[in-house]
Amino acid sequence: MKKKTYIIIGVLVCLLILASGVAVGQKTQNAALAEPVVVSPADKAAIDVFEKEVKDYIALRNKVRENAPKLSKDSTPEQINAYRTALELSLRNARPNAKRGEFFRPETADFIRRTLKTEFQGQDRKELREQIFETELKGVVLRVNYPYAQAAELSEMPATLLTKLPQLPKELRYRFVGRNMLLVDRESNVILDFMPDALP
Amino acid sequence: MRKTHHFLFAILISAILFTPATAQKLNGNATAAAKSAANAPLKLTLPMKDGSVKFAVIGDTGSGSERQRDVGEMMVKYHTLFPFEFVLMMGDNMYGGEAPQDFDKKFAEPYKALLDQKVKFYATLGNHDQPLQVNYTNFNMNGKEYYKFKKGNIAFYSLNSNYMDKKQVQWLEDELGRETAEWKVMFFHHPPYSSAKKHGSDGQLREVVEPIFLKYGVDVVLSGHDHVYERIKPQKGIYYFVSGAGGQLRAGDVDKQSGLTEKSYDQDMHFMLFEVVGNQMYFQAISRTGETIDSGVITRK
Repeated sequence: MKKKTYIIIGVLVCLLILASGVAVGQKTQNAALAEPVVVSPADKAAIDVFEKEVKDYIALRNKVRENAPKLSKDSTPEQINAYRTALELSLRNARPNAKRGEFFRPETADFIRRTLKTEFQGQDRKELREQIFETELKGVVLRVNYPYAQAAELSEMPATLLTKLPQLPKELRYRFVGRNMLLVDRESNVILDFMPDALP
Repeated sequence: MRKTHHFLFAILISAILFTPATAQKLNGNATAAAKSAANAPLKLTLPMKDGSVKFAVIGDTGSGSERQRDVGEMMVKYHTLFPFEFVLMMGDNMYGGEAPQDFDKKFAEPYKALLDQKVKFYATLGNHDQPLQVNYTNFNMNGKEYYKFKKGNIAFYSLNSNYMDKKQVQWLEDELGRETAEWKVMFFHHPPYSSAKKHGSDGQLREVVEPIFLKYGVDVVLSGHDHVYERIKPQKGIYYFVSGAGGQLRAGDVDKQSGLTEKSYDQDMHFMLFEVVGNQMYFQAISRTGETIDSGVITRK
């Protein structure tokens, strides 16, 4: 009788372990759809300001782009080069007084730092950090309104993190350089802003 | 005294072996061996059926090296036997600079013979590729970082795994939701599964894309990034290939203990050939010197 009870308890324990395993698996699989870190009213206000800055930049960019050579989807390497060079110069000239902190203001930076901290914590995120730090960054100089070195590698932005950061229009990109987080113009590669030591 | 003789003899042998002339001779022999292998008769394991979809796969090509050209030449040889219509590129299409001359050296020249024969190349972006490559006419990306196209009963999806944001995830879900093609093939740079020691499986990318692949019945996933060849054991019913040694090689990088590998090759560069006949997809992986390093068939359920 006693032996039978032990067997039943054993089976129940195994079933519980299995069930919790399935639940953990599902949680991991659905991480991309999970809610972002808690957004307080103050965070919401900071994100709104950030999005307004981004919107203003896009308006300026569209105006500047009108004067750059046109680029079709069937371009030659020479046309691509001419477009990139002209766009880079025009964008830099359009914002001669650009400085760090114009997009990543203290409140926005605070929200992003907390988001990064949440995303990168835990043993299972060790691989994520390693992936960012293995990027070859030779020639990259962090300077606002200057281009990211064309020959340098681009770090992969973690897909799970991108779902939690403020969304960007297609013209802009977040990018990591070591522990620093950048905001860059996608086509011209001009660095619009950066947060030093953003990664925990 | 006897020990001293042995020691001196060992030094003498080492000196002979490592003179520049001997080193050159050894290198020469290695090159000769490679050339001789390159002249070996071509062997095709694919069925070559009329009306089938025939294509090739290359990854991490853009080094502009002599070995990249060797792979390109071998592809041309196989093209005479197996006239593939198009080539999928797994990203890192250009390492280093992207001035106009780089496009020639790292792409147009190594594959000139194929381009001349109207073989189309469809690229995806790797971590060494600047975003404006999407506008390069020979990459057929139509100005888009992620896109799809159909050939026969197959839908090919090129994703930008450098930047898998919400918009791209939504696009992928929407497109797969209305997909009518029988075969669904994904290609992008970072491998969700890989046994390579340098990079290995991209877990965070897998976390986002794998549930979508499973939900919509994706059949095959092709990627690069790790400079080796690897056919992964089917994962939850999906077939994964790593083909990242079309112009770069990380010799000996495959971790044989990973438990993921069905077949791997990390001793030379390679490319792949595919042929789809109805619900069967035949594949053959070929080394830079023309050896068949893997082959088989996938049957779609």
